[in-house]
Amino acid sequence: MYSFTYTRAKSLAEARDMLAKDQDAKLLSGGMTLIPTLKQRLASPSQLIDISRIAELRGIAVKGEHLEIGAAMQHAEVARSNDVKQKIPALAYLASQIGDPQVRNRGTIGGSVANNDPVADYPGAALGLGATIKTTQREIAADDFFKGVFETALKADEIVTGISFPVPKRAAYAKFPHPVSGYSMTGSFVADNGNGVRVAITGAGQGVFRWKEAEVALGRNFSLAALKGLAMPSRGLSNDLHATAEYRANLVEVMTRRAVASLTGGK
Amino acid sequence: MSAAFKGRREDRRLVTGAGRYTADWNQSGQLYAAFLRSDRAHAEIVSIDTKAASAHPGVAGIFTAEDTKAAGLVFPPPFLPFPGKGGQPIKVPAHGILASGRVRYVGEEIAMVVAATAAAAQDAVEKIEIEYQDLPAVSDVEDALKPGAAQIHAEIPGNVSLVYEYGNEAKVNEAMAKAAHVTRIKLYSARLVSNPMEPKGCLAVYDAAKDVWDFWSSTQGITMMSGSLATHGIAPEKARIHAQDVGGGFGTRGGAYPEYLVVMLAAKKLGKPVKWVATRSETFVSDHHGRAIRLSGALALDKEGNFLAFRLDWTCDLGAYPAGAGPFINTITPMLTPTGVYKTPAVYGLHHLVVTNTTPIAPYRGAGRPDGAYLIERLVDEAAREMKIDRLELRRRNFIAKDAFPYETPTMVPYDSGDYATLLEKALQKTDWAGFEKRRAESKSRGKLRGIGLASFIEPAGAALAPKDQTLLKFGSSGNLVLHSVTGPTGQGHETVMPEIVGRELGVDPELITLSTGDPDGPPLIGGGTAGSRSMSSHGAASLMAAREVIKKGLELAAKDLEVAVADIEFKDGKYSVKGTDKSIGIIQLAKKQSSTAGSHPMDAGGEVPAAGTFPSGVHVAEVEIDPDTGVTSVLRYLTMDDCGTVINHTLLEGQMHGGIMQGAGQVFGEECQYDRASGQLLTGSFMDYYMPRAGLIRDLQVYDHPVPSPTNPLGVKGAGEAGTTGSLPTFMNAVVDALRPIGIHHIDMPITPSKMWHAIRAAAK
Amino acid sequence: MARIEMTVNGKKVSHDVEDRTLLADFLRDELGLTGTHIGCDTSQCGCCTVHVDGVAVKSCTMLVGQANGADILTIEGMAKGDKLHPVQQAFTECHALQCGFCTPGMIMAVAGLLKDNPSPNDDEIIHGLEGNLCRCTGYINIIKAVKHAAAAMK
Repeated sequence: MYSFTYTRAKSLAEARDMLAKDQDAKLLSGGMTLIPTLKQRLASPSQLIDISRIAELRGIAVKGEHLEIGAAMQHAEVARSNDVKQKIPALAYLASQIGDPQVRNRGTIGGSVANNDPVADYPGAALGLGATIKTTQREIAADDFFKGVFETALKADEIVTGISFPVPKRAAYAKFPHPVSGYSMTGSFVADNGNGVRVAITGAGQGVFRWKEAEVALGRNFSLAALKGLAMPSRGLSNDLHATAEYRANLVEVMTRRAVASLTGGK
Repeated sequence: MSAAFKGRREDRRLVTGAGRYTADWNQSGQLYAAFLRSDRAHAEIVSIDTKAASAHPGVAGIFTAEDTKAAGLVFPPPFLPFPGKGGQPIKVPAHGILASGRVRYVGEEIAMVVAATAAAAQDAVEKIEIEYQDLPAVSDVEDALKPGAAQIHAEIPGNVSLVYEYGNEAKVNEAMAKAAHVTRIKLYSARLVSNPMEPKGCLAVYDAAKDVWDFWSSTQGITMMSGSLATHGIAPEKARIHAQDVGGGFGTRGGAYPEYLVVMLAAKKLGKPVKWVATRSETFVSDHHGRAIRLSGALALDKEGNFLAFRLDWTCDLGAYPAGAGPFINTITPMLTPTGVYKTPAVYGLHHLVVTNTTPIAPYRGAGRPDGAYLIERLVDEAAREMKIDRLELRRRNFIAKDAFPYETPTMVPYDSGDYATLLEKALQKTDWAGFEKRRAESKSRGKLRGIGLASFIEPAGAALAPKDQTLLKFGSSGNLVLHSVTGPTGQGHETVMPEIVGRELGVDPELITLSTGDPDGPPLIGGGTAGSRSMSSHGAASLMAAREVIKKGLELAAKDLEVAVADIEFKDGKYSVKGTDKSIGIIQLAKKQSSTAGSHPMDAGGEVPAAGTFPSGVHVAEVEIDPDTGVTSVLRYLTMDDCGTVINHTLLEGQMHGGIMQGAGQVFGEECQYDRASGQLLTGSFMDYYMPRAGLIRDLQVYDHPVPSPTNPLGVKGAGEAGTTGSLPTFMNAVVDALRPIGIHHIDMPITPSKMWHAIRAAAK
Repeated sequence: MARIEMTVNGKKVSHDVEDRTLLADFLRDELGLTGTHIGCDTSQCGCCTVHVDGVAVKSCTMLVGQANGADILTIEGMAKGDKLHPVQQAFTECHALQCGFCTPGMIMAVAGLLKDNPSPNDDEIIHGLEGNLCRCTGYINIIKAVKHAAAAMK
């Protein structure tokens, strides 16, 4: 690591001030991506502003038909939360499949969403459920938030404060973990909102995306039969030494089927 | 696990964090080293400028090839005490410890910075200015052998360092010509990264008054390390090697790495202790890699399925420099068991050892054995299919009979002992082989492809690293004993099992006996370290011999003590007794009565055994299931029936099998070190890209044995460290291919990653 | 430089260190607690696992500043005098270690797992070990040891 200063911000206002004053500063939450990046000397921030203990970023609350999760909530906390398990069990399950136990004890939902790693899991839930990303400046619909590989709508001085997930009628996440890293090689988050279906795909492409054809088909008829003959095109999907784009396209189909089957009793 | 097992002697310190690995040692006032490594596969070094780096705060020194050359340090030629085809010796390039003039692989060491902190050393490395002129690179043997391919060394025209042959080509050609059937196969044993969990490192302290270094590093034996340092230019008596705990070896910690020599040089030049600990990223590029062999073979059979001849062709990647035992393992090792466990009149092997712009290749668990077994056992399964003979029946027809020992291979190698037919029958009894088709049908009803496979394999063990192995048993003042040996344990449990051998022979509690292996002040002993599945048959057997010598020395003393003639004394259960009476004295009691002078006790005794090979064998069975939707292959069951000779400690043997099989499984299911073919850049340089087996890859693993004692050593043991790996490659792959046969697939290469498997299944469906 | 104060294995410690110091390096280099091992630089191997405020984390992926004020438990703090922690005891009795390099991290991860789930089944054990690599044992005896420890802790 190159040299930097570390400061633990006591409040959101303090963090915002510090960030505004230093354009080479970086926010640090769980650090599960940032610290390995620093260790490889791939980044050299002047300072790290630790926002993980700020009270305003903590907590899980049910607000009407929404589940609100503070940005600094760790994956393990989300996976364990009774509110999450009750309202959106697919989200609790997804959180329980991120990384490994030690990573889940440190990594946070805000960090994951803000980082928007194309192989991360949370962007799948946020986009699949049509969540709203709350920041220090505004509220951003997931559809407008994720912009490709490690890119989001966030401005340099903007901090994610929480995510609001609408509670779906039913939802499921099926993940095919990367055999080496454990990240999502392909994950399919399927949510039936009662008046429409959303299917978000992580891992397979250059950032999380919606599989619109599957949404339409499942919207008409939420069953495995609706997916029959529906093919995911491989163009634009990731192609690397571990998996071809064709294989990932197949996984999109298989994981979507598995997610649906888990909700329909295999029908 | 044996019910009596309560834990190993070494475990207490290791489970409490009190173990001491290389990075855990420190010396006051120590400096830290960091390396500048090549970031390209093949280039001329136009210039190196260390001025800015030298001026970096905290920097104490910078070392380049000029310094190592001036100090007389050399990159030694590989260990290969025999010539190749036509008496041609291996072609070896002139090369130094640090790169000069040219770099030949990504990660090659160019310069070392020493500074007050590790971070400062790393900061300064980044300030070294280096200018390269890129050269075309070849990172694959096929590319390296093409006409017009980039030449890596002037001394190695055509990039072929050695052509090695064994057996009788004319006889094999004749057999092939008259055979009723010839089965041919081409396979790939991928390049692997050994990845002991402890990254390499070292700590050197130089004593100018004595002109001696104290040197800490992870090693598979202090004589292996000092021997290796000697070939690099530091005489054995100049280096006091220390190693308490070593975090895995697997062949990769057999000798000195170039970094060690530069660290030692720096400690001498700067007059301060110097420490260097590699990051995992560094070990990925600079620990020697394993395997990387293209295999092809042919098996000739008569119409009854009797084997007539094997033809074996290996094209082996040496990496950029022929190093250490890299050439040895892919020449003589496979020559020792060229026809497996099958009586076969003729064999011919032709191996090409080729240099490429990649990290050098050296032994990795199995070191030529798994590759050989894989080739032979895949050939046998394919021959059975092609000739429509049951694969078990074909093996039974060709097994070397149990009364044929010592059996001499067509390469004139004597197998010690074995009972291959019984291993097969006993393994089958444990696996419900006959009921498999029912299980296959059940899987099919769930849309899955199920397969069962086995391999009946053999491997050479007991590598002759030294002409003989010696141990020394010395009594302490409290009736305790210290067993001195130069074995280099890296997890095998020698501190537990070696005292067990001595304790059993002396009839005393093994707890009274302590093993000492990494002691530079210990007695000078001849012997090799821990490699090539040799420690039990060499150090273990020598420990037994030392115990017998102690008993012999005690006879006269006991006679004196009991006031009878030596002829009237017998030794049994730890006691010297007067025959026909109840007069006796315990061996420890006797020892305590003797006075020791100048650290020498009258009952101290050494033991030794000559180098002697053993030939462990086994039948392993695997059952797998493939999900055609995702291409994922699951291991349903794995079972072994091994002959590792006499079993000394069953729990430790099982541990060796578990680990060996899992390392084989790693190669089968995912491990593959890959370079970008055009640029020679390493693509799998961390645990994010290089597959490592994790918990759950194999859940049901049962280890059984059918020991046939080896007559070549007094313990009757055979090697066990590599058998799991040797057996598991062909076993898994025969099971995988068996699962795929119903859809018309009869070959797929390791590693069977989900993506590769899915593509193979899809292609077969078209 | 920053002043770091924390409790490590029940003892209060206080040191001035560079901000870029990792918790793993702090434990090893400043406190001499070398039982916490460093086996990789990409947060995959888990050799450096310790407990921070009661949960298992990878100390190579945490700045010491992030742990300022925390209660840290390392492998050296697991045994009570001569009495091994049940997980240490189980690893010993089940031959769940060979070279021992991954063992401290593995034991800390298992202790964390059993805290969350006192009687895990095979799937849950395997899921709980996803953050730890072992190159020697094939994990067979490690899984056995987890069950053994779970039974002993009941």
